[in-house]
Amino acid sequence: MATTVCGVSISTRRAVFVKAEPLRPRQTHARILPLLDRGVRCRRRTVLVASAPSTPPDISEKVSESIKKAEEACAGDPVAGECAAAWDEVEELSAAASHARDKLKTDSDPLENYCKDNPETDECRTYDN
Amino acid sequence: MATCAVYTTPSLHSCSITSPAKNSLGFHQRKVIFFTSRRITKRGGRSTSEVTCSAEAKTVVIGLAADSGCGKSTFMRRLTSVFGGAAEPPKGGNPDSNTLISDTTTVICLDDYHSLDRTGRKENGVTALDPRANNFDLMYDQVKALKDGVAVDKPIYNHVTGLLDPPELIRPPKILVIEGLHPMFDPRVRELLDFSIYLDISDEVKFAWKIQRDMAERGHSLESIKASIEARKPDFDAYIDPQKQHADAVIEVLPTQLIPGDNEGKVLRVRLIMKEGLKHFSPVYLFDEGSTISWIPCGRKLTCSYPGIKFAYAPDTYYSNEVSVLEMDGQFDRLDELIYVESHLSNLSTKFYGEVTQQMLKHSDFPGSNNGTGLFQTIVGLKIRDLYEQIVAERAAAVAEAAKV
Repeated sequence: MATTVCGVSISTRRAVFVKAEPLRPRQTHARILPLLDRGVRCRRRTVLVASAPSTPPDISEKVSESIKKAEEACAGDPVAGECAAAWDEVEELSAAASHARDKLKTDSDPLENYCKDNPETDECRTYDN
Repeated sequence: MATCAVYTTPSLHSCSITSPAKNSLGFHQRKVIFFTSRRITKRGGRSTSEVTCSAEAKTVVIGLAADSGCGKSTFMRRLTSVFGGAAEPPKGGNPDSNTLISDTTTVICLDDYHSLDRTGRKENGVTALDPRANNFDLMYDQVKALKDGVAVDKPIYNHVTGLLDPPELIRPPKILVIEGLHPMFDPRVRELLDFSIYLDISDEVKFAWKIQRDMAERGHSLESIKASIEARKPDFDAYIDPQKQHADAVIEVLPTQLIPGDNEGKVLRVRLIMKEGLKHFSPVYLFDEGSTISWIPCGRKLTCSYPGIKFAYAPDTYYSNEVSVLEMDGQFDRLDELIYVESHLSNLSTKFYGEVTQQMLKHSDFPGSNNGTGLFQTIVGLKIRDLYEQIVAERAAAVAEAAKV
């Protein structure tokens, strides 16, 4: 997902800059700064923000490898137990990848994680009724 | 028969020695003080061990069976939420542990009882669905131990590496849920279950769900997902599917009948098949128990958007068991649809009006929150809570009886 930073939205996510610009020391404030150079900035900065559900790369690797292996195993003899075992491994790894994605989604808020362990601190107090 | 047990020192850590307080479910734990006189001759040699004999000394065990990728984790989260508290992996342990622990509930994944790890299964050409890849003896021993209130060292199967990791300590909880592919396969384990649920997903819906799950994954394609399902199907049909005849409740998910020719799997027809004649479980019904009802709530009082909602309720036979089937086809769009439907269902075991709706809203980001899957999972969760309370009350009554005598 590519977003141009020159838009008005101020996202809390740290943007990963594709084109490194070492001559600009105040990059983090650049988004909030007005609009005079907006045109110039827009052209130069295309920010690639990872889309929310993204599998950690090592699991993703494992999934693609296991798919290749399964296709090889079944190319010879589709009825054999090895073919079933290979596809079962693909299924297992896909499930693990999906869980990892969900975990990433839920673990994304550091305040949430802190408050889970320390609900009595001032930042984490909730008054429900 | 008193359910109090005197724990010898080694396993004392597994017994709850707490000051009497009302726990979240409102039960007072009765305290009995035992004097163990090791040295009978010396007066000072008496050691007082205060053992809490609670009516819930014996754990209630629930079994949940489903194929992978079929919503077990969502069900688990809903279930633990009904009992209160969030279920978390054990703190400080193996980060790849499959266990979830909350205040009242512990959820064990039966994959931990694999006897063959991933390489072992590949060498032998067996899938994880095959009973040969699972250690049912260990499963039975440990579930029995937990049910009797003894802590166990349960192995961990690491889904990422595919290896069996060193064991973790599991303390007996009030409610133990065992979820996986084979909770009802072994007859001995089946005997230990107080309630069992089977999630039966039809092939079309399974395919649609797996596409949703895997299509974003690099390397997967439509063909690979299809091949994966088909390669596992023979083992699934032979070993996993027959478990549904033993289940006390089956949640069957089928494609909708409201939209002709729909194959997206977005709108679902969900059937809750409940066994009749069980001791602590009274099936949910619509309007009149035992009769056949077909109900479309959308009309003058309630406006629904396309494709609407359709309910059906009827008695039936399922694998030669007497059952009642409650069925929902369609989707909820708004809060008032949900509350309207809830007010017309009976025997929900809710503690207050609107509890089902509240639970559904609490987890509105979970998949299935707008259709029968979420609704029936929530209802089953409430039924399990009711079953647990009945069992505990029964045991408390038995203890009281024994005390009188």
